[in-house]
Amino acid sequence: MFAMSVFDLIDRQRAHGSDRKTRALACLSVVWLTMVIAAMTVLTNYGSSPGPVGDVERIWPAESEITRKSGKLSLLLFAHPKCPCTRATMVELAIVMRHCREQIDCHVLFMRPSSMPADWAQTDIWNSASEIPGVNVAVDVDGKEAKRFGAATSGAVVLYDQGGQLLFHGGITASRGHSGSNLARDSVIALARNERPSLSEAQVFGCELFGKCPTVATNRVRSR
Amino acid sequence: MNDAPINPTVAERANQLFEQQCDRNYARTDRMFALLMAVQFVSGIICALVISPQTWYGEKSLLHIHVWAALVIGSLLSSAPIAMAWARPGTFLTRCVISSSQVLWSALLIHLTGGRIETHFHIFGSLAFLAFYRDWRVFIPATLLVAVDHGVRGWLWPESVYGVALASPFRLLEHSAWVVFEDIFLIWMCVQSTREMRQIAGERALLEFTKAGVEDEVRSRTAELAEQATSLRREVSERKQAQAEREKLVQEIMEVSRRAGMAEIATGVLHNVGNVLNSVNTSASIISERVRSSKLPAVGRVAGLLNEHSGNLSKFLTEDDRGRRVPEYLTMLADTLRDEQELVANELESLGKNIEHIKSVVSTQQVYAGNSCVMEHVCLSEVLEDALRLSSASFERHGISIIRDYEKLPLVDIDRHKLMQILVNVLHNAKQAAGHPSVKVRQVTVRIRVKDDRVRIEVIDSGIGIEKENLTRIFAHGFTSKKDGHGFGLHASALAAKEMGGSLTAHSEGPGTGAAFMLEVQARPMEVVA
Repeated sequence: MFAMSVFDLIDRQRAHGSDRKTRALACLSVVWLTMVIAAMTVLTNYGSSPGPVGDVERIWPAESEITRKSGKLSLLLFAHPKCPCTRATMVELAIVMRHCREQIDCHVLFMRPSSMPADWAQTDIWNSASEIPGVNVAVDVDGKEAKRFGAATSGAVVLYDQGGQLLFHGGITASRGHSGSNLARDSVIALARNERPSLSEAQVFGCELFGKCPTVATNRVRSR
Repeated sequence: MNDAPINPTVAERANQLFEQQCDRNYARTDRMFALLMAVQFVSGIICALVISPQTWYGEKSLLHIHVWAALVIGSLLSSAPIAMAWARPGTFLTRCVISSSQVLWSALLIHLTGGRIETHFHIFGSLAFLAFYRDWRVFIPATLLVAVDHGVRGWLWPESVYGVALASPFRLLEHSAWVVFEDIFLIWMCVQSTREMRQIAGERALLEFTKAGVEDEVRSRTAELAEQATSLRREVSERKQAQAEREKLVQEIMEVSRRAGMAEIATGVLHNVGNVLNSVNTSASIISERVRSSKLPAVGRVAGLLNEHSGNLSKFLTEDDRGRRVPEYLTMLADTLRDEQELVANELESLGKNIEHIKSVVSTQQVYAGNSCVMEHVCLSEVLEDALRLSSASFERHGISIIRDYEKLPLVDIDRHKLMQILVNVLHNAKQAAGHPSVKVRQVTVRIRVKDDRVRIEVIDSGIGIEKENLTRIFAHGFTSKKDGHGFGLHASALAAKEMGGSLTAHSEGPGTGAAFMLEVQARPMEVVA
């Protein structure tokens, strides 16, 4: 059927103009399509490129100013208040909290450089996080806590058990700015439910928390 | 469907109309998509600027790659369809480019909006929009691109498509199935729509064919009608010409009739003058005879005898026998000469009267000899008397008495000459009818009646009468019952009456019962005279 259409196309094109011109246009169309697909590939590749990951602590850092709540898992989400990709992370966090609010003590820490005014972190993403039930939102001046926990990319999540042992670290979205079901989010929920997770670590998709970082895409876990 | 055989011409025309309609629809939809491409381009940029304007590195930021994608990929995606729609509208290649571009726009917008599930509706909306082409083939590149996109990305970046790192191959089928699901309905709709378009084109072609046939028929009939109209115009023209010729002929006939009438008047005049001339001639003969046989020479002889005896005249007169009879002779001569003088004087008087009569007749004839249509104030009795006067000698000679029955007559506006012509003619006929040897009581009654603005003049004779069937025929041109008739007189009189706005009719109970001619004309009364 399609072959017939192609023949029909050729016939119709003959009726509309010279074969040479038609062939040239068809070639140009193929070139155009190739260019578009190439550009889309670059874009998709960018969207699927994870951000940098710092040295994640296996054990809850003692110098952390965040107090763990006994009997609950502790989930920390480090976010850049202006990172557009983090919106999708907030959507996924809301889903996690909807399922595991009782099991998780959640803190969202928005990095704010000390050089920036106090309201620099007051963005729509901050508001989104604040509206999630059971979530504690706080400013992380100069990303001190992020650095303590080894988070380098907005959207990085660390999950510790009641004893302060790292259970999971990484992003809870499938790609940059894309919300939707993904294994990382499902793993966090599974851990909260004391189930076997699919993943214990995942890539983080978001903006860099601390300036340009030349080294990316390798997860490192610090042990003490 | 109708199983009647389709005219090849109609089928060709139907195909042509179908293709024209398709081309128009393709071009129109191309233009719509060109507009949509521009809108999507702007929307993509706005989307990128609103949702992800910048990418951050700590406190530093750069323009987000999504903005660049909206600009670069968006312009790439929109420019080609717009250019094709502008340069090559209606072609299948243009549709393919637009179809491909549209689903790629879906992919770009989904990406720019962070994979929002709502943006996925753009794919299904785009497929529905592509159905505007009513060409099911446009779904092929669109569906293939969706399938390839999902296949490749699911293979290389499964999270970007399915949100999970390890996607099942069935997810590809699931996503594609929804597209195919819509494709099935849209393709079915396109096929149905195309079928209907073809059917409409067929009906329109048939309609055009029928219309063309009707128009041909109308043209043919119009040409025939035009030809007939030309023929009719020619015929009308010929008839008008014939009518003009007839009218001219009638005028000529009327002129001839008028002349005939005038000739009739002239004949009457001459007849009357002739009669009077007989009397004149008789009087002249009597005078001549008297003068020739006059006793005047006897006076001379008596005078000679007296001269001869002038010396003894007394003796001669007393003694001579001849002398004694001279006084007695002179007495007798004087008586004779007195008788002669009286006779001559009488004859001369008669002669003078007759000459006066001739003069009167001639002058009357001169009065009515004109040929004008001038309306005059006329006293009807005077005209009637003039007419009678022209024929009086004939009436007298035939021993016909005239009975006058006039009402109080007003002066009326009337054509004196036409009236005179009619009256002379009718009186002439009455004289002939009443003067026939078989008629014992010879009389003609002349009656005038006036009612409102109508004047009725009746000439009733006690003559030989008219056959019933001839009562109208006598007015026909050329009809006459007389041996020496020419059939002009009454015809001309009737025409003259008609010209005067009236009529001339005849009435008779039949042969031997006399006849009446009624002239009824319109005449405006001026005043009543006694």
